Amino acid sequence: MSIKIKDLCKSYGEKKVLDQISLTIEEGSIFGLLGPNGAGKSTLVSILNNILDKDSGTIEFFGKDFENNAAYVKKNSSFVPQTYAFYPDLTTVENLEFFGSLYGLKGKGLRDRIKFCIEITSLEKYSNIRAYSFSGGMKRRLNIAIGLLNDPKVLYLDEPTVGIDPQSRNYILKMIKEMNTQNNLTIIYTSHYMEEIEYLCDDIAILDNTKILLNNKKEILLDQTKYVEVVLGNGKKTRINTKESYDEFITFINTHPNISEINVEHKNLEDLFLKLTKQDLRD
Amino acid sequence: MFVYILKKEFLLVFRNLHAMGVLFIMPMAFILIMSLALKDTYANKLDKKLEVLLQLEVKNDQMTALQEILNDNDFFTVTLSEDKKEQKTLLYEKKYDFVINMPNSIFEKIIHKNEFKIEMFTKPDVDQQRLTLMKNLLQQSLTSIYMKSILEEKKMIDLQDSIDSHYVYKNKDFHIQPTSVQQSVPAWLVFSMFFILIPISNTFIEEKNLGTINRIKSINISFLPIILGKIVPYYLINQIQVVLMILVGMYIVPLLGGDSLVIEGNIPLIFIISSAISFAAISFAILISNISKSTEEATSIGGLSNIILAALGGVMVPKVVMPLFMQDVTSYSPMAWGLESFLEVFVLGGSLNDILPDLIKLIVLGIVLLFISYMLLKRKNS
Repeated sequence: MSIKIKDLCKSYGEKKVLDQISLTIEEGSIFGLLGPNGAGKSTLVSILNNILDKDSGTIEFFGKDFENNAAYVKKNSSFVPQTYAFYPDLTTVENLEFFGSLYGLKGKGLRDRIKFCIEITSLEKYSNIRAYSFSGGMKRRLNIAIGLLNDPKVLYLDEPTVGIDPQSRNYILKMIKEMNTQNNLTIIYTSHYMEEIEYLCDDIAILDNTKILLNNKKEILLDQTKYVEVVLGNGKKTRINTKESYDEFITFINTHPNISEINVEHKNLEDLFLKLTKQDLRD
Repeated sequence: MFVYILKKEFLLVFRNLHAMGVLFIMPMAFILIMSLALKDTYANKLDKKLEVLLQLEVKNDQMTALQEILNDNDFFTVTLSEDKKEQKTLLYEKKYDFVINMPNSIFEKIIHKNEFKIEMFTKPDVDQQRLTLMKNLLQQSLTSIYMKSILEEKKMIDLQDSIDSHYVYKNKDFHIQPTSVQQSVPAWLVFSMFFILIPISNTFIEEKNLGTINRIKSINISFLPIILGKIVPYYLINQIQVVLMILVGMYIVPLLGGDSLVIEGNIPLIFIISSAISFAAISFAILISNISKSTEEATSIGGLSNIILAALGGVMVPKVVMPLFMQDVTSYSPMAWGLESFLEVFVLGGSLNDILPDLIKLIVLGIVLLFISYMLLKRKNS
């Protein structure tokens, strides 16, 4: 277990943003944090990155109390914001040098780490080019490269594929998988792209209206979306959600002797997300 | 780490051409323009004398004597004419700045205390000071001729050369009026040093808006080196401004016909003053950047504040021409603290003791502003 959150609460004045949040994030897992706009994802990630203070609740980071071990937490975690949090007027190397030095790296250690981060994000050709001229995908890769400088145990990725082309997106997703499996890196991933979460994550939590609506293994969550499609002799198809009404399914079978086909299907994460968070527009 | 923080700030500011323009081109232009524009005001003379036409009924010795006396100054060239051409035509032909219609037999009328009128014509845009000067000069000249006519010439005492003028200010016993370049260089230098706000706010607000500050907050580092990293490069840029603007005053302004900058005081004192100004200006810029949400907001708030502080501080209108009430008001502007210290050294050759009170004010202001910024930055939930 890398992070354990218990009864975490946070308010901005009178407005409650996080209410009794409890989560457990396993070491070496990719944890998907889903939620509509304004659900409190960014607040939660900001608290976990020491950018914001919590009001109440406890957080454990690799078994250590979060508040009393802020230096340890900061040393072993890294935050990649949704924005391009670097200096567009600096080159790739200049950006990495600056942030690397803030992490306490220097000399050969800094140079080696910069080389590693550039290689893993495939920015070798752009090492000495100023970042403002980069495409969206390259900027995202540089953003992630900076996040890897301190060789973190936990990496927070906040919507790391927003606004980029499919090739770059595909590259970044593969890179995240690779970092996770090769380095046993715990990744906390927030995104609006359900298929990314479905592809990447081992565990998923859905946050809405200040609360965790659902938190479980991806397979268990997807299992909840299973349904049976029954094809009758006349070709008419009927869908029955077996999870919600098993009795209804049995009754249907018993009352329809002309069934020609029964298929077990499942919906995707997006369907589950919309069902849980309702389809109302969020501001 | 600190080396890379400095490197980052230096690279960002030197790659920002607009900021460079504001920091170096703007003050150079102001110094050149204002030194040349105010040259005559400070020297109390005109490049081109104003042309005056005295319209007479008859030319005589007394009128020629009057012409000679009136011509004996740096401001007017007086011509006599018996032609009674219309004054408006003469003025708008742009040949004359003043047309004065002298009554006939004026000296007899003065001696016999008869009433008479001297009519003076000029265009409405004439400088009021010149108009008053012309009136006074005319009165003085007529009096002089009258006195000579009633006294023996050898008994006349010319008091003009016995009068020595001194500029006495409220807060100083003795003050030499600076030349235009001695006013312009320190004034626009102080102004441009406060415009360090532009590059500081550009980088700082970009850091806030892009989430770089949050990223830095998530790293295990104190904000002290980050703030120091912002002070040192911009302090050095301010010092480069000082050297360049002094060189402009010394070598470029004279090339264009202005006075050369002469520094009466101790050169190291100038850098002590510029250090105090720089510290206050950078702290002010960091605070404005901290409380602003966008570069536009910072530029508006900071730019407006700078212009008001400059107007109040004697940068735009020299303190020497302000009424006493406004001279009191200038003491509330940090730009005035810097400018007065510079003038003390540039013009009067003042010592550290003379400028110490203003330096202390600048440093205390800088510490207070910086402390507020530090607390704002350190604060979570911001």
